[in-house]
This record gives sequence, structure tokens and C-alpha cells, in this order.
Amino acid sequence: MRFTLAWASLRRHGTRTLLAILGVAVAAAMLLDMVMMSTGMRESFRELLLSRGYQLRLAPKGTLPFDTDATMESASRITATLRTNPSIVTVSAVLGGTIHVPTGNRVVTSAALGVDPAVQGDYELLSGRDPVGSNSIAANDEFLAATGATTGDTLDVATGYDPQLRTYAGSMRLVLTGRVRFLYGAANQLATVMRLETLQKMGGADRTDDASLFMIRVRTDAEVEAARAWVELNIPDVSAISTATALAEVDKRLRYFRQLAVILGTVSLFVGFLLVTTLVTVSVNERIGEIAVMRALGVSKKHVVQQIVIEGVAISLAGAIGGLALGLVTAKYLNGILSSFPGLPSAIDFFLFQPKSAWTALGLLTISGIAAGVYPSFRAASLPIATTLREDAIA
Amino acid sequence: MIVLLFTALGLVQQPAPRTIAIDERLAADAGISIGDRVIVSTRPNAKGGDTVVVSGIVKRGADPSEIARSEYKIRMHLDQLQSLAGYGDRVDRFAVATRDKAATESALAAINAAAFGFEAHRSRDIAVGTSKTFQVVSRFHKAIGLITIVASAIFLLCVMLLKVEERRRDVAALRLMGISRTTVVKAVVAEAALLALVGSALGIGIGWAASQFINWYYQGVYRTPLHFSVITADIVTLAVTLSLVLGIGAGLLASLRLVRTPPLALFGR
Repeated sequence: MRFTLAWASLRRHGTRTLLAILGVAVAAAMLLDMVMMSTGMRESFRELLLSRGYQLRLAPKGTLPFDTDATMESASRITATLRTNPSIVTVSAVLGGTIHVPTGNRVVTSAALGVDPAVQGDYELLSGRDPVGSNSIAANDEFLAATGATTGDTLDVATGYDPQLRTYAGSMRLVLTGRVRFLYGAANQLATVMRLETLQKMGGADRTDDASLFMIRVRTDAEVEAARAWVELNIPDVSAISTATALAEVDKRLRYFRQLAVILGTVSLFVGFLLVTTLVTVSVNERIGEIAVMRALGVSKKHVVQQIVIEGVAISLAGAIGGLALGLVTAKYLNGILSSFPGLPSAIDFFLFQPKSAWTALGLLTISGIAAGVYPSFRAASLPIATTLREDAIA
Repeated sequence: MIVLLFTALGLVQQPAPRTIAIDERLAADAGISIGDRVIVSTRPNAKGGDTVVVSGIVKRGADPSEIARSEYKIRMHLDQLQSLAGYGDRVDRFAVATRDKAATESALAAINAAAFGFEAHRSRDIAVGTSKTFQVVSRFHKAIGLITIVASAIFLLCVMLLKVEERRRDVAALRLMGISRTTVVKAVVAEAALLALVGSALGIGIGWAASQFINWYYQGVYRTPLHFSVITADIVTLAVTLSLVLGIGAGLLASLRLVRTPPLALFGR
């Protein structure tokens, strides 16, 4: 009965109800996006960090991995020290650098990583082979597009220039063995990968035994934090960064987006609440006489309150369902914009869909729908029946 | 007397430490002030390094590319940094001042024609490149703004529809008294325009206050003089125009819907 009356009331002003549902849908879409953004980027980054099973990263003291050009000397000594800890299973040393590839009358400059292909956790092979040989190189699609090179081609690669002699420094002829995708690469970044020893050799005497980063896999039954503390104690000139530390730093750097998500999410919820409240209040004001007649016929206050609250919740739920679909579309669009954020891996999703986000948005909208109906319904149910009937008749 | 002489000779013979300037963030965090002696090194925990005297504290520039990075910066003499870092006679970049725009273009062309291993760029182009963070954020804000405009338009249309429908009986009475449909529509549209104007004025006030708060808060968080939110005449014009167009449009739609209904039907007869 209550549902039938609520449905009839909503249908009586179809355009108005439709507009309200549309308004709530847009607010719900925004709310879902903001809930997704507030939790998604953190979760996405965490998944990315743990995607290859490395729980610890070592960077030069006071820096984050690849945040500066600083490197760690004596990479082989650090690797040997790390291997003495029984809880450490795998150590992957990585050196970052820049390479220059002359192609025709221009030079393509690209990022380069030196890794041990057997234990690397930086890229996935798309086609061809890993750069296992000392004269091999693999590259991403952006690099291949910029140079026009294909797998099997030979490239002249240099790590520097000598402007006075007008020659390249650290030159080597490398064979392109494969096409790769870098897990932590930024959008549109040209990048290549080769053996660690090859890049060290190309870097000259200064880089013979350097590394920019160590990735460490700890035994599953071992404490990551204990391993981190052990590393910092035994290798004092590095910073050991666990996933939790890296997430805390990302949280700090992307604090703006989380705050924006909270503000816009609150505003969206408030706008949705205001819209439903306005509509239900006006609708109740129009039906004061009708409600008084129902009360005179013996319909209880509780029944009246429930009917009006159902109207508010129905608008909120209908809008929320439409809004969830709209929210996923807008999230994809907004994610496309933010994926080109400088200095962040393009694989990070700012708007990661998790069922929890949808339930949170739906729950908040349902609560706001109930809250929107509470005041007008109590007001309507508490009106003196005789006076209201007389005033309505006079009007 | 002898000791004093030796001390004096020692002071004369020992070269005075070089000077550096540090940024205000480092000075505040490390508790360093002008005149303090510090040791600088390119490697953490390295033995040795250079002892220098802090001779200046530099105010941080409003550089968007540095916003998210909580880095400290020090300024040293070029030769000292080259020697400390083992850089030899290398530099990372040259800044070249030119007389005018034409001189800039010709210098750019001449340098790039002769260059090997380096490239000349206009300062303007570098500024665009380093502010990519803000470009992305700006595009994101524009997209959010678009969604907000859609939501506001629907909200405004809904409110206007409700406001006009609330006055069904007034409109019916006016129509029965002989007031023309056009007059009724004009009256409703004028009311909608007034509402939109008052709302815009209120919105500008709230926006200004929010902008002040945003600048105060984020300048504190990121410790930068950069302005995060600026209200310009263009933004105000856009907001007021949008508000007026949406308000008048919503009022027009709602009033047209009302005047098409016969007056007696509006009375519920």
C-alpha cells in the first residue's frame, strides 16, 4: 500500500521526478568517481609495486627510486651483503640512464635500464626475446615508433657526447631483441632495457659498479619490516623502502587528489540530498490536503512518514543506479586525463573500480534519501487534521 | 705571544671557507642560519666533503614542477660544485640573455645549427614543459567543471520547475484576469534571471573565500608562494553568463509549460 501510494505520487509529476532522478544520477556519478579516486590510486599503486613480488626497494640515501640521478656505488658489494640475509630470496639490481641513438639526421634520446633479465621486475616481454646477451637491447613501442627500428635491427647506441671532439661517448652497437612494456614507465616515455653490465660499461669508469635501485624479494614467511631494518643497519648508505613506505610517500604527493575527492564527494552528496529534499518538500506541500484526508480516514502517522520516506529513497536509488553507470564512464574519461601525470607510472589507475566503492556510494545516497524524506514527512504527519482540511478547502 | 702568532699565521694561511645559499625550507627544517658552517658532500655518509659557510637564505620560486617534490636546494659556486661532484668542466645548462625576440630566434638557430650533444630552447618552451603537472591538473579541473555545470543545470531546471509549478494558481488567476501569456512568461523569466544573478553574486563571494582558503592551505602544505587558485575577470564573466543562460533557459522552459495549460486546469477544475 505504502509503495503503491509512493509510486502514484512520483508518477503524478513525471517530468519533475525524471529531472530529480537525472540530477541525483549526476551527483551519484560524481560521488562514485570521488569514492573511487580516494581509495583507488593507493590500491592501484600497491598492486603495481607488488605485481612482481618484490616487497623491498633500495635507493640512494634520502631519495626514492629514480627520483634523482643519484646512484649507489659498489653494487656488487651491496648485492653480496644482501645475499647473506637468509630471509632475502632474490636481489635485482637496476641502473638507470639515458641513451642516444642516431637515426639519419637526428638523434633519439631515450631512458635506459640496466637489469639482470633473469630476475628483473621492471618490464614484461611482448614479443621477441629478453636482452640476455651483452650486446642486446629491448625497447618499448614508443622507442620503436620514434626510431623506426624493428626486432633484429642493429642500433648504434651512446650514453653521452663529447662536444669538443664532436663524438659520442660510451658507444656500443646493440641488437634489438625484443619489444617490451615497462611496468613503471610514464605515459609516452621512450624506454629501453639491456643487461646491467652493458649499461655500466657504456657509462664509463664512473659507473662500472653503480646501481640506481635494488629490488628485493623477501621469503613469504619472513617479516618485510625486519628485513628492511636489517638492510638499513648493514648498508647505511642506502634507503630501504618497503611497500608501506612507498605508499606513504605516494599518499603525501597525491594528497591534493584525495582532498579534492573528499570535498567534491561531500558536495555531490549534499547536492543530491538538497535536490531530493526540495522535491519531496514541495511535493508534500502540494499534497497537504490529501495527507490530512488520509489521516482523517484513520491512516497512521507512521504510514504517512513511511510513504514519504519511500518517495525520497526511490528517487535516490533510481538516480544512484543510473549514476553508477554514468560514474564508470566519467571515471574512464578522467582516468585518461590523469594517466599522463608527470613522474607517475601510466599503469596507475586513479579511478580503480572496487565493489566496495559502489556499495559505499549507494549506501551514502540511500542514507541521504532517507534523511531527505524525514523532515517533510514528519511535518506533514504532525499537521492538525481539522485545521489543515479547513484551510485546504478555503484555498 | 708565540702561540698567538702561530694562530694568526694559521688564520692567514688557511683559505676562508666558500659560501653557499640555502633555501628557506632547508633553513627552517635543519635549523640552519646565516653564518653557520656546514659540510657538503655529494654522497651520504661520505668522509671528507667541503666545509662551507651559509651566506644567504633564498626564497623559493613559484615553480609548478617542484610542487610535489619535497626537495631542498642549495646554491654553490659553479667551480666548487664541479670539483665536489667530480664533474670536471661540465655544466648542465647555460642561460643566455638576448636583446630582443629577433635576437632570441637568431641565437636559437645559430646555436642549434652548430650544436653537438646539446640543444637550445626558448625559456617560454621550457616553462611550458616543466608545468606539465599543472596542465594535467588543469585539464582534470576542466572535466570536473563540465560535470558540475551539467549537475547545476539539472538542479536549476528542477528548482525553477518546482517554483513555477508552486504558483499554478497565481498564474491561473493572472491568465483569467486577462494578463497575456507573453507577460506571464516574461515575469517568470525576469524572476529566474534575478535569481540567477543573486545566486551568481553569492557564488562569486563563496568562490573568492574558497580561493583565499585554498591558496592559504596549499601554500602552507607545499611551502611555496605559488597561487593555486586565481579568480580572474574571465572566470567571473563565464560563471555569471553560464548562470544567467541556465537560469533564463530553465525559467523559460518551466513558464512555457505552465502557460500552455488552460487556466481552469491550473486551478484543478
